[in-house]
Amino acid sequence: MGPIVVVTELEAGRVADASQELLTKSREVADALGTTVTAVGFGGQAASALAGAAADAAIAVTGSAAEVYSPRVYERALASLLKEQAPSLVMLSNTTLGMDLGAALASFSGQPMVGYCTGLSVQDGQVVALSQIYGGKLLAEVEVPVTGSIITAIPGSWPAASAGGSPAVAAAVAEPAPEVELLQVIMPESGGDVDITRSDILVSVGRGIQGPENLELADELAASLGAVVSCSRPVVDAGWLPRSRQVGKSGQTVKPRAYLAMGISGAPEHLQGMKDAELIIAVNSDESAPIFEVAHFGAAVDILELMPVLAEKLQGRAG
Amino acid sequence: MKIAVLMKDVPDLVEDLELTDEGQLAVDELSFIPSEWDDQALEEALLVKDEMGQAEVTAVAVDTGDVDSMLYTALAKGADRAVKIVGEFGRDLPNRARSAVLAEYLKTAGYDLILTGVQAIDDVDGQVAGLVAGHLDVPHASVVREVAVAGGHVRCLQEYSAGRMAELRLATPALLGIQAARKPPRYVTIAKVRQVTKSASLEEVEGELPEVPTAAVRRLFKPQAAGRAVMWEGDPEAVAEQIVALLDDRKLIRS
Amino acid sequence: MVLRTVLEALTAVMLLSSLALFGRRVRAIAGVMKKARPIVRTDRVGERLASVVEHVLLHRRMFRITFSGILHFFIFSGFVVLLIDIVETIGEVFIPGFTVGPVLATIVDVWDVVVLVGIAMAVYNRVVIKPERFAGSDEKDAFLILGLITAIVSGIIVHDSFYPFLAREVFHVPDPVARAHFLGWGLSRLWIALGWTSPVAAGAGYTLGYLLDIGVVFGFLAYLPYSKHFHIFSAVPNIFVRNLRPLGELVPKVPEESIAVRSFQDFHWKDILDLYTCTECGRCQAVCPAHAAGQPLSPKMVILKLRDALNERIAAGGWQEAPAAPALAGGVVSPEELWACTTCGACQEACPVFIEHVPKIVGLRSALLEDGEVDAGAQKALVAFDRQGNSFGQPARKRPQWAKGLDFPIKDARKEPVDWLWFVGDFAAYDPRVQDLTRLVAQLLHLAGVDFGILYEGEVNSGNDALRIGEYGLFENLAAKNLQALEKAQYNRIFTTDPHSLNALKNEYRKLGFESKVMHYTEAFGELVAQGRLTLAPLRLRATYHDPCYLGRWNRITEAPRALIRRTGVDLIEMPRHGTQSFCCGAGGGRIWMEEAGMEERPANQRIKEALALPDVAYFVVACPKDVSMFSASVTAMGLEERLKVVDVAELLGVATGLLQVREVQLATS
Ligand SMILES: Cc1cc2nc3c(=O)[nH]c(=O)nc-3n(C[C@H](O)[C@H](O)[C@H](O)COP(=O)(O)OP(=O)(O)OC[C@H]3O[C@@H](n4cnc5c(N)ncnc54)[C@H](O)[C@@H]3O)c2cc1C
Ligand code: SF4
Ligand code: SF4
Repeated sequence: MGPIVVVTELEAGRVADASQELLTKSREVADALGTTVTAVGFGGQAASALAGAAADAAIAVTGSAAEVYSPRVYERALASLLKEQAPSLVMLSNTTLGMDLGAALASFSGQPMVGYCTGLSVQDGQVVALSQIYGGKLLAEVEVPVTGSIITAIPGSWPAASAGGSPAVAAAVAEPAPEVELLQVIMPESGGDVDITRSDILVSVGRGIQGPENLELADELAASLGAVVSCSRPVVDAGWLPRSRQVGKSGQTVKPRAYLAMGISGAPEHLQGMKDAELIIAVNSDESAPIFEVAHFGAAVDILELMPVLAEKLQGRAG
Repeated sequence: MKIAVLMKDVPDLVEDLELTDEGQLAVDELSFIPSEWDDQALEEALLVKDEMGQAEVTAVAVDTGDVDSMLYTALAKGADRAVKIVGEFGRDLPNRARSAVLAEYLKTAGYDLILTGVQAIDDVDGQVAGLVAGHLDVPHASVVREVAVAGGHVRCLQEYSAGRMAELRLATPALLGIQAARKPPRYVTIAKVRQVTKSASLEEVEGELPEVPTAAVRRLFKPQAAGRAVMWEGDPEAVAEQIVALLDDRKLIRS
Repeated sequence: MVLRTVLEALTAVMLLSSLALFGRRVRAIAGVMKKARPIVRTDRVGERLASVVEHVLLHRRMFRITFSGILHFFIFSGFVVLLIDIVETIGEVFIPGFTVGPVLATIVDVWDVVVLVGIAMAVYNRVVIKPERFAGSDEKDAFLILGLITAIVSGIIVHDSFYPFLAREVFHVPDPVARAHFLGWGLSRLWIALGWTSPVAAGAGYTLGYLLDIGVVFGFLAYLPYSKHFHIFSAVPNIFVRNLRPLGELVPKVPEESIAVRSFQDFHWKDILDLYTCTECGRCQAVCPAHAAGQPLSPKMVILKLRDALNERIAAGGWQEAPAAPALAGGVVSPEELWACTTCGACQEACPVFIEHVPKIVGLRSALLEDGEVDAGAQKALVAFDRQGNSFGQPARKRPQWAKGLDFPIKDARKEPVDWLWFVGDFAAYDPRVQDLTRLVAQLLHLAGVDFGILYEGEVNSGNDALRIGEYGLFENLAAKNLQALEKAQYNRIFTTDPHSLNALKNEYRKLGFESKVMHYTEAFGELVAQGRLTLAPLRLRATYHDPCYLGRWNRITEAPRALIRRTGVDLIEMPRHGTQSFCCGAGGGRIWMEEAGMEERPANQRIKEALALPDVAYFVVACPKDVSMFSASVTAMGLEERLKVVDVAELLGVATGLLQVREVQLATS
């Protein structure tokens, strides 16, 4: 049986968290199947990043074309690598890179594909994946052939590797692909007002914040999380925050990975704008506030007391 | 410039998804709507056309049932042509097979630019853009916005996490998986769709059901319903601990 | 002799040229009206004449603003009297010895004074009082016209004052004093003192007066159709052809193609006449909630912009085509203006000359909509109406879910006959905050022993809002679905808790063949109370009541809710704006789903402030589910929960019947 090939992404010269998860999971599956894990990385820093990865073998794809992500270059390089490796499974994260490459490689190589994967196990020698469909409303249990099937996994599905390894790093060279040219990389703009719909985490304040003087607490909490502050309508009406921060029916509809509702009662018009957030944590001194009907976790404490404590703890961790 | 927009309809998630005893979706109970990302792709194509002036936009769909109204709606919104690929296709046509059918048609249809939604919700492999691109072996990119055509090339922005983006330039023919159009998809009045349904016609093209590699779905099931929030007891200090632990567990804390 | 010949010649020249100018203008306008869409407005002649008397001669609506009403009445009546002067003055020039007699002559002079007082008041109004409603009106034109009227009145006095010195020789009248023009006679004393009585001096003076009077009158005639004062001619016909069909009916018959207005031909001819009848008084602007909220809409400016655009196009020669000209919807009137309208109808209600703003605004909206230009929130609602049949985007199946938790079943009127059919409406069925109220209404009906039922998932949104957003096709689809369900149902009477549904069922479904009498629940419950089927213990509290636009103004149901509220033992204190003059909450016409950009102060908040100003009023009673949402949110946002409570009429009934505990609605007696 061929190895499990894990396509890793690098972040600041290190294997990204999402890719670490893939490595951990692949190790577990490979052990059950009795095969090995091969990590693939791209760019000049790949060799050093992969040198400590939890894999049995590693391949660093280098060359000027491989430095920055370019769909065509990566796709070509991977296609020829896969031919060589004849893997049992190919693992990618369900990131832009995974969405770009996963499906194309699957149809290119005539292999099945399982996207939006959140669970992977081996049952009686059969690899079984769990995949979210219908926007997470249903889960599909899928039998994955070990013929080189492509799996793209939703980040955050598994713990990242704690232990590393010391694979031998082989080298490959990526050919340039002039038909897809990278013109420039654009970093998120700072300054101007933020777009709350694009933030992964929102610290959202309601009338429980009581006055503009307390917004500082929310700002600090948001800063410690790399989050953005949003709010309910009365906060905008009072002029404490600009309208662009309002969540709800007459504001923005948001779907962040985490939504921290601070002192928001949970009126239907507000819920309409945030109920699909992946994780909702509500804090409201009123235990019977309707926000707790949609929140996943909640606590009935004073936000003015909680926010500074929480910010401090988070800063401690980040430091 | 000939632009194709690949469209499909998917179950409306507003309705509860009912499962049969065999763990299959009760398809008959569902109402179908155009996949929201395909709608975005159509809008972007129409905007590109508005910008260029002489582009021709064609909406393309595989006939898996009731796709006529989706295609007429596309025409009413401003598409120039609508192509329906007919054959032995049912509602349960997997995206993998759909992609092969589409690719077969596209190979010879001579489009310079093909747009479709970045994903569809109704399959474990709903990423039609990549699947079709693999068949056609043309330059492609997914999760993109702001498409522009200039000098025989296509430019677009590809989105990564945390607001990072790259500007790409692709040679044509190219295929793009659209994340969002520059503007929300335009509204089209019921009257206009009715009128187009009367006056315009759909072009029908024969297609064949291909053999495709599959991963067998054993069963579908609903994730545990969330219900009411899990309440943490204790003082703010204790609650803060809980929140940190949870965020940590979900990998939401920046290290 | 020479003098009369000169005056005769002058008169003839002025008459012909002013008639020519006047005629040219009127022909141009009539040309547009002829090409415009047809509409029946000449039926029911008796009623129409009566309304002309009421609103022209008696100035009914004008007197709603007392000062302006009086000053206008003074000037307006002067125009009637002016006719006597014109006849007399031209008559005496052309027919030797002609006179209208001492009585009419005296009247002319009395009215000279009345008009001058009116003008003084008008100037005072414009210079000192300066009501906001004039903002955007053509002030120059207003003063020009006031100046011209002053000139005419002065002319009358001046030519009358020189008349005695010319009477015998020129006009062959033996006794000039018999004309009884006391003002002119008084002024002639001055000329005698100054010695300006020679035939030459008097002839010159008379000619000057004649020109100021008759000359300006003819000038006026030529100028009028180019100015807002054309209403002097058009107001009477415009009031005559006012809408006499049900007020709440926006579209009188099934349109052939679309209701969208892209060119002036797409308006009804009455819409065109409206444009040339606007007096720029701004009464509509003064009552407009969108305008009050600081949004860019003013109903007056909509009319004026359209009129000016049409004038420009007529002047350019190609009003029908005008390809280079800006689009009416989106160009002449901006999208922001059009989408700001709540279709509350306050403008139409206020307009003294019965201009109809709402159909024009909706027609223009419809054109925007056809071009795909619509507010994102409204679009979402339209898509949800189309897909799910409700604005909440909730499955149709969940419509009857509010009834869960009641300890008695509710009949499905599609399956078994019922006495009363209840059309529940979207907000009452889906809004979690309103659902409690909906259940309460059901309990009240149950308590009264009413045999009632609902249409379950057979009901969809009535389409009232979709139509007012400009989506006629969607309205038609929704109506067809409801009519299909209603067809299946067996019932004796139909009522609804939602004024918007009431309006559609009662007024808009008629063109589709639905003719049942539809009641609002306040009317229905009024009957139950009157029949003794509900016994009420008096609540003894002070409250004010907000008339929903689609109940009070569009459907004239103002008394039933009041009577019912009083029956619950509530001391009802009226807000200054009430009944048909109520102030909109801001939710209508699809506004409830639209973005609030540019809103300075929400109409609902302004309304709450209006209620707060009432002494000792702690309850704000509403009779519309949308109002419950709108006003509760305002009270929350303004932090007034302890001061003012928003309650529905049903809650008053609930407490008065003992169904609800006082605590549940916090009706602490105050
Ligand atoms: C047409 C329409 C559109 C609307 N659109 C929107 C919209 O887009 N977005 C929106 O948000 N609203 C919208 N609303 C308003 C909505 O109905 C509510 O009024 C609003 O959401 C309430 O905001 P809130 O939760 O901040 O305030 P409240 O309802 O007053 O809630 C404040 C909460 O804070 C809690 N609290 C107070 N002090 C503390 C403390 N120290 N610690 C912890 N908790 C505390 C209280 O228990 C309470 O539950 C809309 C309303 C209408 C009618
Ligand atoms: S209907 Fe109401 S909101 Fe619309 S213009 Fe008239 S007064 Fe203003
Ligand atoms: S439309 Fe009517 S109320 Fe408004 S300014 Fe003109 S005449 Fe006055």
